[in-house]
Amino acid sequence: MTVDQLSTTFAALADPTRRAIMARLAQGEATVNELAEPFPITLQAVSKHLKVLERAGLIARGRSAQLRPSRLQGDALKEAADWLAGYRGFWEGRFDRLDDHLRDIQRRHQA
Amino acid sequence: MTDRVTAQEITITRVFDAPRELVWKAWTEPEQLARWWGPAGWTNPLETISMDLRPGGRFSVTSVSDADGTEMTSEGVYREVVEMERLVFDEPAENAWHEGAVSTATFTDLGDGRTEVVLHSTINTTDEMRAGAEAGMAGSLDRLAEHLAAR
Repeated sequence: MTVDQLSTTFAALADPTRRAIMARLAQGEATVNELAEPFPITLQAVSKHLKVLERAGLIARGRSAQLRPSRLQGDALKEAADWLAGYRGFWEGRFDRLDDHLRDIQRRHQA
Repeated sequence: MTDRVTAQEITITRVFDAPRELVWKAWTEPEQLARWWGPAGWTNPLETISMDLRPGGRFSVTSVSDADGTEMTSEGVYREVVEMERLVFDEPAENAWHEGAVSTATFTDLGDGRTEVVLHSTINTTDEMRAGAEAGMAGSLDRLAEHLAAR
């Protein structure tokens, strides 16, 4: 998993509703309607959370079925669970961008 | 399971091709922090950044996903501010993967226009978090999911 993917995974999990959705999916796949049931939020809001989780590689969603049930994708979660590596990855990513920024700002000062 | 907290240490070193003053400013001026603090593909709106750069002062940065507007805030408290040399800050457990972390960033002028930054973090985790991680490794996602739900 790349640093950017790890950052995305961490960001995806830094939300209590998304963590609760993950917990529900650990019991088996579920549709948007089933996932929305325990939460005082709209289907639309649940769909948005699912998109974030899907983009982070944490869940997969059925393509053919109309209901598009969601299920956990173990690998991204396992890698995120190795949180020390994740924490390091998070900072390495920050440092990459700091490096770019410092080059940028010096180039502009010289110009 | 008990909630015993254990500290783990991690050190990350990076040499930047920039003078120390510039690197220090990149860490301590909101306009510059906005350019690098969030993950790739995220923007840090300047109006969300507050930095009270003194011992006991708070900082807060909100990153917004370019893709879908998801927000993520990182915040903490400065413990030590030694101009151009050292920054010590606490990050609380809220919205994070740990039970609180203390980080020290040390800035060293390498004398050739480059600056070395050493980030040393002490990260507190609970037994439950580690058990969750181990369960994840072993392939049983249930425990990890329980942990996620409990956080």
